[in-house]
Amino acid sequence: MIKSQENAGCLGAADRLLAPVEDAANLLAACAIFLLMVLGVAQIVSRTVFNAPIEGYIDLVELSMAGMAFLGAAYCQRIGAHIRMELLVGRLHGRGLWAAEIFGTVVGLVIIGVLIWYGGEHFWRSYTLGDSTIDAELPVWPSKLLVPVAFSIWFLRLSVQLLGSMRMFLDPQRDPVGVIFVKGAAEQAEDEMHDAMGGDIAEDKAPQSGDGK
Amino acid sequence: MILGIGFANPLLVGIIALTLLLVLVIFGVRVVFAAAVVGLLGLIELLGWSGAAGIVGTVPHSKSSTYALSVLPMFIFIGFLAFHAGMTGQLFTAARKWLGWLPGGLAVATVFATAGFAAVSGASTATSAVFARVAIPEMLRYGYDKKLAAGVVAAGGTLATLIPPSAIIVIYAIIVEESVGRLLLAGFLPGLVSALIYAAIIVFWAMLRPEQAPAVEPSTWKERFASLPGVSPVFLVVLIIITAIYGGWATPTEAGALGAAVVFVLALLRGAGLKTIKSSLMESAKLTAMIFALIWGVLIFVRFLGFSGVPEAFTAWVVGLDMPPMVIMICILLAYAILGMFMDAIGMLLLTLPVVYPAVIALGFDSIWFGIIVVKMAEVCLITPPIGLNCFVVNAVQPSISLPQVFRGIALFFIADVLTIIALLAFPEIVTILPDLLSN
Repeated sequence: MIKSQENAGCLGAADRLLAPVEDAANLLAACAIFLLMVLGVAQIVSRTVFNAPIEGYIDLVELSMAGMAFLGAAYCQRIGAHIRMELLVGRLHGRGLWAAEIFGTVVGLVIIGVLIWYGGEHFWRSYTLGDSTIDAELPVWPSKLLVPVAFSIWFLRLSVQLLGSMRMFLDPQRDPVGVIFVKGAAEQAEDEMHDAMGGDIAEDKAPQSGDGK
Repeated sequence: MILGIGFANPLLVGIIALTLLLVLVIFGVRVVFAAAVVGLLGLIELLGWSGAAGIVGTVPHSKSSTYALSVLPMFIFIGFLAFHAGMTGQLFTAARKWLGWLPGGLAVATVFATAGFAAVSGASTATSAVFARVAIPEMLRYGYDKKLAAGVVAAGGTLATLIPPSAIIVIYAIIVEESVGRLLLAGFLPGLVSALIYAAIIVFWAMLRPEQAPAVEPSTWKERFASLPGVSPVFLVVLIIITAIYGGWATPTEAGALGAAVVFVLALLRGAGLKTIKSSLMESAKLTAMIFALIWGVLIFVRFLGFSGVPEAFTAWVVGLDMPPMVIMICILLAYAILGMFMDAIGMLLLTLPVVYPAVIALGFDSIWFGIIVVKMAEVCLITPPIGLNCFVVNAVQPSISLPQVFRGIALFFIADVLTIIALLAFPEIVTILPDLLSN
């Protein structure tokens, strides 16, 4: 009993340690999205007003796509946002549920592991060859490096979830640590609602709204 | 090789892989993992470990870092910002002032307000969520039937995926290698037609059962015009995206960036703080990562499918069927309707299109037309049981309306959707006219 609590303690610590890293990576992706917006507007202005398009704009956008595409992956995994079909899993309870979770997570670990290795190789080739983009001749390797880096965080998150699920499989009565809860459509809807309304300006505070009040 | 079949019978490998993929997806393995791992295993079987790993290792980066895909984060960001900029209230107010006098006027106004919101948002469930809060209380206050009020909001949300900017249409364009701009334009009229058919069916119902949708007092012309400035950003975003694609003065990504900047400035003017902006950005990053993972995961599988020859075999079989193409098309659509009851729209499209799309094209259908109709089909599934996420959303926001009531309220709009799909089948011009204008 004491042992299992210790395990939960370690797992919980790993969970808490990893979360800020994931948040930071997702925030980096978020910043890349914001910069893409700024860059797009700058490109329009610079091209139409000054007739001087930003040099290497497309190369820059393409290289930054990796940041947006991969850095948020682990964050997504933590909150269970990567889609799956929940028709079956949503109906499972106890050991059956945790067995399905273990299976799904192991599949994830295998493919992400392979991708870290071979994505890393892809990066290394590009680094040693000094690969650059055709137009602006920007180096490609920093962008390719994001795959093994982001996927390593993802791999760690999957490992935490695997251990968490295994712990729950051994004794489904324990308090869950480091796992995602399967959500039914109703709870998903609840999330959507919070996503949609979580902002600090509520509808009613906006002027002119709420006609007839 | 794993099974020892290899290139002796690639088709068999393909069929085994498709079955394995189906099993993994049913057992709740996340779609990105299932697709990528099956793609990897299939490639190993056909090409051996080193050949397979070499391909698989390059796919995520090379497929994600393409300029065409960069429009996705922009559209997603516009959508999240639009929630926080408080646009929905104004849209509903304006639509109500202009359309409230109609039979079932408040419900009609809700339809057009959701259509307007769709022009700044590509997310269906989220659109339903906001309007469930803005429009339903107003309808109930005027004595509207609960089922009708809930149904119109759940159905109205689905307009978001047709009217640009729509993330799902961009994904279709990427998967089938069509022009993003042309497809985005193509969604515009069908979205409008959907909205009009919703409105027509509401008016018809309100005349039949006036007690379910009582009239509200008409507004004066002065009030009507006074409501317009509040919704002008929506028109501005539509104008930017449509004219950019038509006039070619900006790429879809740049137009998306400008649209996002407009909504961003508006959100700041409305008093959005750093917290709001940050959470919009974090949510955009999350959704972007999710969609990109799906894309590269499925593309790994598609690389394998290409080697296996399954799409060609399926196409040959479909083309060889002794049936009129339209009958086959209807069967395909029905299959999507059933599949959509159990699967998320984006996942469903990504997994099926690599096999289905070549067959549809070989039958002589237009690729843009098919994209729009399949997206509409996927959306219908968002309001039908058992998953019908939009209905759950409405129920979650307005717990006083029970889930069965919401699902019953949907019936009317389900009929409207069937009518829309029939209209799109009978008059493909509704889809193709705008993109065709572009090419001339």
